Amino acid sequence: MSGRSRPNKTSFQIQDEQSAILDSIADGVFTVDKDWRITSFNRAAEQITGVSRSEAIGQLCKDVLKADICEKRCCLRATMKNGVPIIDKKVHIIDAEGRRLPISISTALLRGKFGNLLGAVETFRDISVEEDLRKAVHARYSFSDIISKNHKILQLFNILPDIADSASTVLIEGESGTGKELFARAIHNLSPRKKQPFVAVNCSALPDTLLESELFGYKAGAFTDAKKDKPGRFRLAQNGTLFLDEIGEITPAMQVKLLRVLQEKTYEPLGATQSVEHNVRILAATNKNLEELVRQKKFREDLYYRINVFKITLPPLCERMEDIPLLIEHFINRFNVLQKKSVTGVSDEAMTVLMSYSYPGNIRELANIIERAFILCKTGLIEKRHLPESLFNVKSSESKEGSLCLRDVEAEYLANALRQNNWNFPQTARQLGIHKSTLYRKIKSLGIKPFPSIQS
Amino acid sequence: MKIALSIFKDSISTVFDAADQLLILETDGTNGQKRTMIRMGTTEPANRATHLREQGINVLICGAISWPLQTSIASMGITVYPFVRGTVEEIIAAYHDGRLNSEDFAMPGCIGRCQGSGMGRGQGRRCRRQKAGVPHETSARGRIKKSSFNGLT
Repeated sequence: MSGRSRPNKTSFQIQDEQSAILDSIADGVFTVDKDWRITSFNRAAEQITGVSRSEAIGQLCKDVLKADICEKRCCLRATMKNGVPIIDKKVHIIDAEGRRLPISISTALLRGKFGNLLGAVETFRDISVEEDLRKAVHARYSFSDIISKNHKILQLFNILPDIADSASTVLIEGESGTGKELFARAIHNLSPRKKQPFVAVNCSALPDTLLESELFGYKAGAFTDAKKDKPGRFRLAQNGTLFLDEIGEITPAMQVKLLRVLQEKTYEPLGATQSVEHNVRILAATNKNLEELVRQKKFREDLYYRINVFKITLPPLCERMEDIPLLIEHFINRFNVLQKKSVTGVSDEAMTVLMSYSYPGNIRELANIIERAFILCKTGLIEKRHLPESLFNVKSSESKEGSLCLRDVEAEYLANALRQNNWNFPQTARQLGIHKSTLYRKIKSLGIKPFPSIQS
Repeated sequence: MKIALSIFKDSISTVFDAADQLLILETDGTNGQKRTMIRMGTTEPANRATHLREQGINVLICGAISWPLQTSIASMGITVYPFVRGTVEEIIAAYHDGRLNSEDFAMPGCIGRCQGSGMGRGQGRRCRRQKAGVPHETSARGRIKKSSFNGLT
């Protein structure tokens, strides 16, 4: 029996044990006393909030967790008040890096040996990736889902609320893969029509006749096999927003019909004898230069002016290179969850290659590159060998084959070196073995244009 | 000069993204000070930034704030003092005395952040992550710090 007796533990040993148990839990856990001051804070809580244990202990829980419910709908307060635990409530916190993270929290009372109230305990887990995927499925995007630190995009953010508020038609121009539909959805979700439907139509995917019946619908008997009425996209988007993607691809005949619909605010379903009024906000997008198409007489001028009430031009990814690391991190998080992997990031060498590429397919291409890397990279960092070979044959867009003089060659060499170093001047100077003031002088004299955001 | 403080009761509101009251101080360069309280009806971050611009705010002092919202506000030329905590009166006094970057007014984990950031001044993120026991990895996030600094300076 004596061998089975429980050894006496000091309070320090007990504390150590408790701390080790808490740290082994994957969810964030913290406890508070009756004055809402944190008494324990585990490792996962440190990682999710970005606040170290030493900084958190003794602080008010609201200052550490920084959740949107802290002031008015505090779960811990509710549990302390009525003793009822809260399970899996979704809230948002701001971590120490300023990221707004959705977390799921649960609370319970903390009682002592004799049932006396000591405080409360809160457990929470980061559900940002699940949330991101849910948004991707339901396409409920808002501006905060647009990942960018680019000054052009930030300028757009500043005017988009006003654009969203108005009922005017908006034309979104941008290369393929720059996020035109994401912006269109964000405008809709910020507008007074956000509770009404958002309907997207790809105009280039359908031939004229099908596009007409898709947009305006048809009546029973309008053509063979039209057994019953079918509502068109205008009807489905009533009171909401209709997003006409690839509008530059529609035929001249369809342009005339669309112009009439936009002007008269009425349309006629196929086979109908009466016009139907609509209340639909039109957002149109194109990867073509519509102004140029108008000049070439391929797009009707009157329709162009009708849809071009407000034009948004989205910059291609090569003009917002500072967003590449942010986007890479976003895609890595997403693919880690989707493919149950634990890729931690991108190595310096791989990042240099990714920063040097020009991305003709824009963000879609970057997502594909990361997805491809996930096939080869199971864990750890994405290395150069995980990237497609096409990325290594970068040619400067400014190169003029056949007519290179020494000055051009020098300018191209410097521009490539700068690009590879993420436009970090001191690092580039070190790599080239020249003083940074020499580098600045050469950049100026050779007329190399750094990224606009870095110029200032 | 208009200084806005995001408040809840008599303290700085914990999260600006969810706060609904702004105390606006108008200073005329002398000791004169006019105080106005306004409500921010909307919760959409993009609208919050526009709202501040429409009010003609020059400086925002607030609690925790998400970086997209902070950069959006800063891009309008408004100086942001983020991750500040304390009572309204002590924060106003600290602002006037130039003591707002003191540790006393910084939220836990955010020491060094509550320095006025115009167009994205340095924010000491790396230090905080290391302090928080998060391994410093060569990740995309690690590079963001540099690029974000460059991109917005």
